[in-house]
Order: sequence, then C-alpha cells, then structure tokens
Amino acid sequence: MTQALFYILAGVIVASAFLVVTVRNLFHCALALALTMFGVSGVYLYLGWEFLAAVQVLIYVGAVTVLIIFGIMLTRQVMDDHARVMNNQILVSLLAAGAVALVLFLVICHSDFQYSNHPALAATPTLTAPTYADEVSSLAMGLLNPQNGFAFAFEFVSILLLSALIGAVVVARKDPA
Amino acid sequence: MTMNDVPVVDFLYLAAILFGIGVFGVLARKNAISVLMGIELMLNAVNINYLAFAKYWGNGNLTGPVFAVFVITIAAAEAAVALAIVISIYRQLKSANVDEAHSLRG
Repeated sequence: MTQALFYILAGVIVASAFLVVTVRNLFHCALALALTMFGVSGVYLYLGWEFLAAVQVLIYVGAVTVLIIFGIMLTRQVMDDHARVMNNQILVSLLAAGAVALVLFLVICHSDFQYSNHPALAATPTLTAPTYADEVSSLAMGLLNPQNGFAFAFEFVSILLLSALIGAVVVARKDPA
Repeated sequence: MTMNDVPVVDFLYLAAILFGIGVFGVLARKNAISVLMGIELMLNAVNINYLAFAKYWGNGNLTGPVFAVFVITIAAAEAAVALAIVISIYRQLKSANVDEAHSLRG
C-alpha cells in the first residue's frame, strides 16, 4: 500500500515535470511546476523528512512559483500562445537530455545501490551520533554542530541571501541611477 | 525505517528522469523563464537523491539533508536574481527569449 503511494507520487512528478517543459502557455507551465514541487515534497514526506517537506512547500510552492508567475506577468508579451516555445535545437536537446538520463540509468544499474546494504557500509558500525528528539533539532545540530557542522557555510548562505535580495532589487529597478 | 519495501534505486531512477526532463527544458525552451523552471527541476532531482541516500544509507549522518537545505536556499536566491535579470532584459529588448539576448551592452 505505502509502496504504491511512492509510485503514484513518482508518476505525478514525472507527468507534471513533462508538462512544465512542453506546455505552450507559460502560466500553465508555472502551475505544473507547482504540482511537481508538491509531488517532490510528498516524496520527502514518504522518506520521513517532515520538516524539509514543509520547507519545500513553503519555499518552492509558496515563494519560487509565485515569483515565477510574477515574472511571467511582468513580461506579458511572452504569454502569446501562438509563438513557438521551442528553439530550433529541439532534436539536439532531446538527444542530450536522453544521453544524460541514459548515463545516469547505466550508472545506477551497474552500481552497488541495488543492495539494500552496501557491503562496505555493513562492516562499519553505525555512527554513534546522538539522536535528537525530532528532525528539526537534529537538522540544527547537523548545521551548527561546532565539531563537524557547517556553521561557516550557514552564515555564508545568509550573506548570499541578503546580497541576492539587494542585487535583485538593484537589477530590476526601473531607472538605473 | 518504514519504507524498506521501496528500494533506494527507485528514488535514484525518479531523480534521473526528473534531471533529464530538466536538461531538456533548459536546452530546448526559448523563453528565459522556462529555462529557469528547467533548472528548478534539476535542483529538485538532486535534492531527492540527497534525502533518499541520507535516509537509507545515512547511518544517522545529517550531511545530506543539510546540503538539501543549502540547495533549497540557493535555488530561491537564484530564482530571485534570475527573474530580476529577465525583467531587466525584457525592458531593454521587449522580449524574454534567450536567443535574442546575445549582447552584454545595455
């Protein structure tokens, strides 16, 4: 039963992602993208990452899709349904995307991932990392643990977000000073 | 773990298909916003891989989900900057097609 749930989610994700890249109307593309993000957050939930699933819905469905819809509306002329949406290298693109997917498939097929437990991993004892009550606190420890955390990257990302915010405002301003 | 019935390769196959669709979107679409949507699909495929591996083989190691958080954050920043650039290009050229924006001069 739960197994079927994953395959249904996978089908929804692949179908809506296909719609994202093929539909002519850009607005419908953005809505299909929102559906894809919902599906991906469902996969996170299925894997047991509840907090990240909520973050996925908040940021991708709530922020990025709305941002993209704003972008589409501000460049309204492109919503013209009759113009061609694909450029003239569609065959090459199809070939390249197929090649990428094929290489990934071959790698996955010929790897040790088929086994539920890697022989090398089975030999190593489970990490004695302290387990925390919930996902959020363990994620916070993973980020900010002074021994093996990513506190510097965490601070750096906050600076990146701030500069991206200011940069976006500056670039999109109407009359550059 | 409750979902041992789905092998980890199925998550990898799903991510590979999603990544391939994203590559196609980036390469074949004319509109810059569509290209951005293709990039978002590829980033999500990467995140599925991170989280599936962290759950199945992570042994309590949280590096995978931590990097998934970084990917989500940077994707949001990237979307904001990219849309600002698209709007700026649209003001100059009255078009948001990546083929037509081939000059760096304003």
